[in-house]
Amino acid sequence: MRPSSLSSRLILSSLVVSVVLLAATGLLLASLFTTALERNFDQRLRSVLDGLLANIEVTAEGAPRLASAIVDPRFALPLSGWYWQVVPMDKATGVADLASGSLLEQRLAVPPAFAGKPGVQAFYLKDKLGVTLRAIEQVFTLPGSTRAYSVLVAGNYDELSAEVRSFNRALIASLVLLALGLALAVFVQVRFGLRPLRAMQANLLAIRQGEAEQLKGAYPAELIPVAEELNLLIQSNAEIVERARTQVGNLAHALKTPLSVLTNEAAGQESQLAAKMTEQAGLMRDQVSLYLDRARRAARARGLGAVTEVKPVLDALARTLERINRDKGLAVTVDCAEGLKFRGERQDLEEMVGNLMDNACKWAATRVAVSARPAPAAAGRGLLMVAVDDDGPGLAPEMRDAALRRGERLDETKPGSGLGLAIVRETAAMYNGGVQLERADLGGLRAALLLPSAI
Amino acid sequence: MRLLVVEDDPDLRRQLVSALVDAGYAVDAAKDGEEGHFLGDTEPYDAVVLDLGLPIIDGVSVLEKWRRADRKMPVLILTARDRWSDKVAGFDAGADDYVAKPFHMEEVLARIRALLRRAAGHASSELSVGPVVLDTKSSRVSVDGMPVKLTSLEFRLLSYLMHHKGKVVSRTELVEHLYDQDFDRDSNTVEVFVGRLRKKLGVDVLHTIRGMGYTVTEPDNAA
Repeated sequence: MRPSSLSSRLILSSLVVSVVLLAATGLLLASLFTTALERNFDQRLRSVLDGLLANIEVTAEGAPRLASAIVDPRFALPLSGWYWQVVPMDKATGVADLASGSLLEQRLAVPPAFAGKPGVQAFYLKDKLGVTLRAIEQVFTLPGSTRAYSVLVAGNYDELSAEVRSFNRALIASLVLLALGLALAVFVQVRFGLRPLRAMQANLLAIRQGEAEQLKGAYPAELIPVAEELNLLIQSNAEIVERARTQVGNLAHALKTPLSVLTNEAAGQESQLAAKMTEQAGLMRDQVSLYLDRARRAARARGLGAVTEVKPVLDALARTLERINRDKGLAVTVDCAEGLKFRGERQDLEEMVGNLMDNACKWAATRVAVSARPAPAAAGRGLLMVAVDDDGPGLAPEMRDAALRRGERLDETKPGSGLGLAIVRETAAMYNGGVQLERADLGGLRAALLLPSAI
Repeated sequence: MRLLVVEDDPDLRRQLVSALVDAGYAVDAAKDGEEGHFLGDTEPYDAVVLDLGLPIIDGVSVLEKWRRADRKMPVLILTARDRWSDKVAGFDAGADDYVAKPFHMEEVLARIRALLRRAAGHASSELSVGPVVLDTKSSRVSVDGMPVKLTSLEFRLLSYLMHHKGKVVSRTELVEHLYDQDFDRDSNTVEVFVGRLRKKLGVDVLHTIRGMGYTVTEPDNAA
């Protein structure tokens, strides 16, 4: 995934936010839990302390003793980490002290920072085994005595730490799981949310390949203005191209009249200048035809969706060619299957069939027969075949290839630029079709044009 | 034979007119579709050379209007647009032939000759009445193979009558087809031309039908 992609931006930003938020949540939860646990621990120690204070009495000898035993067995278990002690503040007098059985003979020392302070003090200690203890201590004067005692209760803090650690482990595990879930959700969201963009891209590709003319389909509200703007852009682009093409056409057509003037002016004179003018006008005429041809070809690159009814085109051409060749008295007949449609531009069909029919009319003796039929489909494409037959002299098989080449004129005595058949071949090729020259049933030449058909 | 040229380009118009006049036709010219349509609608032309790309009214519309008004003169269209759809549109509008630009003047002359011949029902480019032969290609006349020198008006007169061989052509009709519209017409001069023509041809093919007009026929065997 490239860092500049929209989805990686979305995924990355939401991942950063989730990780930061989850980490903060984790820290907060852990500290809340620890605090609550410690408070609870302190309360337990405090109730033991209160119990001690209520139970201690001073013997006649002046030594402290418990009126009743402390029930919690942890205070009896040696070195359990749970201790209590009642120690006189004034140690030098050798007055007896009192401690839980778990302490054995040792006594815990209050850190100097807390020693002798009034009120309940809370602090951490270590016992002989290195166990961390949490302790609370209060200086207290026992009833029936004037001596001040330091009463201390300590609990095993490592047990608490272990509890905190296991809580933290569970917390981290569930937070990581949550983070993974969120990441997955973000990924799915982004894929789903950006799907219209992918659809738009596919549509644009179709437009570029000429399969569609503009963006269609339902886009989300945010993309509708973009789609509309894109459509306008596509449309204005098409208009610019169309205008440029029309200008080229207009320019080329406009040049034809001055070219006629030049040619005819020069034809009346026999000077060197006139000869040069004739020659150059001829070159210009060829250039004009070439660029007109190109402009038409470029126009064809679009409009692949066009569909043209075949019969009206053939009928119109037959009508026109009969009139053009009225003096020869040619019969031009059309036999076309009803409803046959060509998948392409009307003008292209006209140019291809028109050139073939014109050529046939030049050579025919009495008749030209045009027939159009659906042809066997190839590679899943429907095809149609237009055959133009004449009853002229025909063409020897070895001459047929040459006849289809650009600029080739087999008989200079017949009018024509020699481009007709080449234009037919090149136009048919653009439609993945083709043209073939064969022997006609009528005796002359048959030009068979294979083109894509539409249903 | 009287022709109309409708072409907006002044140079091309001049060339067409002068080439057609040189070929022995009386020629009127119009510079746009409106003027061209008016002339074609009111004057009896034997043929029209019509450019399709015209100002005011385009050529195809002019042609359609003429045909709708039942004007049947042959029309040769000149067009820079030589796609088949343009040709089909031209012929469907009623054109009789077309020449694509850029063209050579000989081509236009040949097409015009063919149109006139076809309109008159002749197959050959040479018209003949008895020993008189008129070559429409070279605009020459001969009698028994000997060339006869004619003025352009004499040639036009003979040509018109020979195109309509066997028909009686009134004096008014002759005048209308001999002169272009700017000519100061005087129908009495026709009588003079006919007299001169008879003398130059020296054979009895040109007859006056009193009160009706003129006609060319094969010379009587008796004569």
